[in-house]
Amino acid sequence: MRVLVTGMGGELGTRVAQLLETRPEVDEIAGFDFMPPRRRLRRATFKRIDPRDRDRLIGFVTDFAPHAVAHFGVYEPGSRMGPREAAASTEACTVNALGAAQRAGHLGRIAVRSGLEVYGRGRGHPLVPDEEAPLAPTTPYGRTCLEVESLALGIGRRHDVPVGALRYAVVAGSHIPSPLGRVLRLPAVPVPALADPPFSLLHQDDAARAMVEMLVQGFEGPLNVVGPGASSPWQAVRLGNRIPIPVVGFGWELAAEVAELAGAPIPPHVVELLRHGRCGDGARAVAELDLGSLRPTQEVLVDLYEWATVLRLEPTRRVA
Amino acid sequence: MTVPVPNYGLDTDRILATDSLPAALRRRLRGQYAVDEFGADPHLMDLSAGLAPLPVTVEHGEYVPQVGPALLVANRGLGFLEPLAVVRAVRVACGRRTRVVGAPEVPVLGDALRKLGAIGYRPDDVAALLRAGNVAAAPLAPTWFRSGPGEPPRALLVATLGFPVLPVAIQPGFPFGRPGRPWRVRFGEPLFPPAGTGADDQLAAAELAAEVQTRVQALLEDRS
Repeated sequence: MRVLVTGMGGELGTRVAQLLETRPEVDEIAGFDFMPPRRRLRRATFKRIDPRDRDRLIGFVTDFAPHAVAHFGVYEPGSRMGPREAAASTEACTVNALGAAQRAGHLGRIAVRSGLEVYGRGRGHPLVPDEEAPLAPTTPYGRTCLEVESLALGIGRRHDVPVGALRYAVVAGSHIPSPLGRVLRLPAVPVPALADPPFSLLHQDDAARAMVEMLVQGFEGPLNVVGPGASSPWQAVRLGNRIPIPVVGFGWELAAEVAELAGAPIPPHVVELLRHGRCGDGARAVAELDLGSLRPTQEVLVDLYEWATVLRLEPTRRVA
Repeated sequence: MTVPVPNYGLDTDRILATDSLPAALRRRLRGQYAVDEFGADPHLMDLSAGLAPLPVTVEHGEYVPQVGPALLVANRGLGFLEPLAVVRAVRVACGRRTRVVGAPEVPVLGDALRKLGAIGYRPDDVAALLRAGNVAAAPLAPTWFRSGPGEPPRALLVATLGFPVLPVAIQPGFPFGRPGRPWRVRFGEPLFPPAGTGADDQLAAAELAAEVQTRVQALLEDRS
């Protein structure tokens, strides 16, 4: 099986490529992104292509003629790009890569990255949506994720290709760049003054494992992938020994401006998470993809705060 | 790297030994407490439980499952203290936490009640709560003069079809009953829809609703 990994330069794309390299049923792996992978890949081929460079992207995908696509070219605003650039790159990557993969003639399955943001949050939205919950995103990133799912489904329906969508909780970990992670690591963190809504996290390794299993098994349909348990803004901030700054109403816009100056932009879907929470029912993914135990949200949170811990290793013997 | 025990030793379902007040405050300041997906804070639930001591006598507490989901459907009069009586009765019967259905979807008050374990009235949220293995308590419609069981929560019963439903009868004690008399909470046998009932079977849910209402009435009339 030849597998194309879009967005291979990101932490998740690279990790998926590494896991695919260990699978005997995968013969060839190729991927592209606007930046190179940060980890060593042994079998996979990487090409540095900006997702908006349509001709180069289509040429690369057509030459590779994949049997399966792991679509990680879904760029979260505030992660490595600004909101507009992220939305434009995601759309270009989805349309061009999936379209070219289908036209190459061997495509047998598609798995796309999506997020719990597709369910929306706030009044009138379920607290812990399962896969049957109505799709009603309330943020630009949620709408982008839903658009990616719709585009992939459209291609899948027209050409009889099974499409799976992984609706991730916020993916976090020690070294994954995420806007929520950056905000929580600030010395002072904005939190809702009059509420403390729950949110769940997902460890980057579990997110990558879920994608590999979905791709190898050819699962069709959406699955929520969520770390067990939850945290809340106040609890997370105190756990990280940060200072909570209570915010209400329009104060969130000011908080976002200040945080951006401090190097941690807070895009609307992260503001929504802090104000209204974000959880999901991930039981079906664990059962269908046989994922075993996922790392609990609280462990992911600890991992997030321990990212900068310096371990001083004493030499076992002195050589000079 | 060693990672602390998830949820810091606090079980979101079962009540465990509580901290001393200084230890509890230290735990809060360090953020070492559990939060669940529905917004409940079991540490806070335990800390606040002692603030409203409501004397209850429990009958047939053995019907409340020791583990796993159950939907308790109870009568109510004004509806202020009945949820508290059910929560205390389940706590006495099997040491589990109860999630009260019906928190208002308003800022501040709704958020505060969710922290203390309540949940809104959305059927899909209650279904998710039961799928997660919790005990939930939903009220029948209020009967202002305590003239019997009110209308059953049909929409909830449709969404939660397949989970055990326990009828519960509550007879008020102080301050709504005789002074000094404790609240009396009687649990009935668990009810299930007939074997082979599919999800969203409206007829089965309606029959179950009628059965629950009848059982609550019978429990209320049973003076033994």
